[in-house]
Amino acid sequence: MSLTAWIRRARTPEPVPVRREIAVFEPADLFDIEIKDNPETNPVLCCTSDAAGAAAFNALWLKRIASSGRYAAAVSVRGQGGTPAAVGGAEARAHDVVQAAVTVPRQTVLIGHREGAAWAALAAGRYPAAGLVLVSPQRFPKQLPKPVGEPPVLLVVSESETQSKEVQAVADEYGITPLTFAGAPDDVFKGAAAEGLLDAILSWLDAQQR
Amino acid sequence: MQEYSSQAAYDRGEAVCVIGAGASGLIAVKNLRENGFEVDCYERDTVLGGLWNPQNQHSPLYPNTHLVTSRSQTEIPDFPMPDDWPDYPSATQMLEYLTSYAKHFGLSEHIWYGSEISHLEPVEGARFEVVVKPAAGAAARRLRYGAVIIATGHHWAPNLPSYPGLDEFRGTVMHSSQLKDPSRLRGKHVLVVGGGNSGVDIACEAAVNAASCVHSVRRGAWHLPKYLGGEPSDYALARLASRPKFLRRFLADRILKGPKLLAERMGIETPGHGPGSEEPVRNGRYLEHVGDGSIKRRGEVARFDGYDVAFADGTEIRPDLVVLATGYQPKIACVAPELLGGTPDQPAPQLFARMFSPKAQTLAVAGLVEPGVGVLPIVHWQTHAIARWLQVRKSDPERAESFKLQVNAESSHNAAGAADDSPRRRLVVDAEEYLASLGRIIDTLEQEPAK
Ligand SMILES: Cc1cc2nc3c(=O)[nH]c(=O)nc-3n(C[C@H](O)[C@H](O)[C@H](O)COP(=O)(O)OP(=O)(O)OC[C@H]3O[C@@H](n4cnc5c(N)ncnc54)[C@H](O)[C@@H]3O)c2cc1C
Repeated sequence: MSLTAWIRRARTPEPVPVRREIAVFEPADLFDIEIKDNPETNPVLCCTSDAAGAAAFNALWLKRIASSGRYAAAVSVRGQGGTPAAVGGAEARAHDVVQAAVTVPRQTVLIGHREGAAWAALAAGRYPAAGLVLVSPQRFPKQLPKPVGEPPVLLVVSESETQSKEVQAVADEYGITPLTFAGAPDDVFKGAAAEGLLDAILSWLDAQQR
Repeated sequence: MQEYSSQAAYDRGEAVCVIGAGASGLIAVKNLRENGFEVDCYERDTVLGGLWNPQNQHSPLYPNTHLVTSRSQTEIPDFPMPDDWPDYPSATQMLEYLTSYAKHFGLSEHIWYGSEISHLEPVEGARFEVVVKPAAGAAARRLRYGAVIIATGHHWAPNLPSYPGLDEFRGTVMHSSQLKDPSRLRGKHVLVVGGGNSGVDIACEAAVNAASCVHSVRRGAWHLPKYLGGEPSDYALARLASRPKFLRRFLADRILKGPKLLAERMGIETPGHGPGSEEPVRNGRYLEHVGDGSIKRRGEVARFDGYDVAFADGTEIRPDLVVLATGYQPKIACVAPELLGGTPDQPAPQLFARMFSPKAQTLAVAGLVEPGVGVLPIVHWQTHAIARWLQVRKSDPERAESFKLQVNAESSHNAAGAADDSPRRRLVVDAEEYLASLGRIIDTLEQEPAK
């Protein structure tokens, strides 16, 4: 974040605060003595534009992430799941993500799905995420802030999206090559495709830690 | 780390030493780590948070200390406070915030508690040797670092005025930092000396708890309520700064008109320049207490005489308790004043851009400013700049040169308050100008190298 960007934000009215729904799954919640919370790993915070919000990650994601020894959380931004609706566009949703991120006990990785990827990217412009994972990004902001603290960035898209202009633009913006997963971009929360996608993300996260 | 003998200095290579684990030290550690530096932070006390931690032995907190700057103007830019906190968080919340910042970024593992740095000096290769004062009987340790950032704060040495007869005064006298327990005011006739934020806050405590409260104030000041036009005052005023120049004056006059008239009605002069150039008093209750007579304002104290206190205007009172809210002397004891640009007869630091030592490239100070706005964001950008500078001076000699020229230029025009004699007032900066200057410095350090 640049100093000018901060000055501008500090002088703009803050989005209306909402009581946010945050789902958390810790390695200890698995009741598996083999799996321990590894303090060397960064926690993970997820968001999606799916209307279910945090609950979308309950079926598979949070447990799978926790099984890898990581603290796993997901947030419902304003108007999703159990979080009341309130005025504000993408900036306000990014604010919701940052507010959720600072409640996570350690510096967290942000994972955003679809429009959630755009919110996560905006959030990473204000908060030094430990990593930024963009899954099938949609409606990405034209003016993208430089991520604070230069976190590693991963872009994962479905095979059908690789040629899309939007995906190309995001990849160029961060100077990275997208990974692909088999399956439909809107159907990532359960099933075999979801498992494959999660495997890819988790092994990328492990590689960053080293 | 291992044990060190008192003779040989242990070499920490390019690691950076941060002195103090108050807000400034914590922000420095986080930003240095983020820029890839190894960091050792030394804290003389056994707790973090500096002056916001009441467990810190010398904490200057007084009863019911609340922030005078609002949440959005006080929080660290990349780690916001929870947005369901009040506009003006309490000292307890401030400590909770700093603790969660330290935990979130894993800062504690880089902090050595109970370790006071008693001395530091430059050694060959633009490096520094620091001496850690031994704790209870152990031997002193010496370590060498690639750079040192001093973040020791400037609210530790009470500034105690001398009045004729003060030493023989028969009532109780204490500095504001010693007033930990509000019950000490109960039922007493209290005199509060000093018209800054602490003095005004304590006068308000006395107004509701003590038998009577007289408040001695030497000069006028801007008195702002905590809200202006339905918004926290500092936020409202900062927003004005983003307006076009020709409108700014007009809008400022308009929102400040009410507070100015009220202060005048209470017999308080407002300085000619706006509230931006000097720390304004921010307390919405004070003028109401003056208005209902529970605080009686007086001018300067002339002398103490047995049980009595005489004022310059010839009046006298007989207080049980005198609270000296007379501020602090900024002191940095662990380093020779010359290294921070002081001279034998003018030992106060004269830093480049209020943070860089003019004598040593690898020595900087964080948080030695009184910006009249939230201090933490300023320290965030200061330490961001320092971390970048430490990178650039190694990796990019060309840019390092243009940076030096720039920092020199920036230093000449933020010398606000330099003419004034009081050491604290010399720390005052115009926040708007200083932030702009920090922005230019960071730009110079970060712009893409010309190809
Ligand atoms: C009563 C009061 C109210 C305030 N209200 C506000 C407000 O509303 N908003 C705002 O923005 N600011 C406010 N401030 C300003 C405050 O200074 C900053 O908010 C901030 O806390 C400064 O942090 P610091 O780390 O620079 O200093 P400190 O908090 O003083 O921390 C310095 C640390 O260094 C340690 N130390 C000192 N010397 C050594 C040594 N030689 N070796 C090792 N360790 C050492 C100390 O033990 C301490 O922990 C207030 C200050 C006071 C006194």
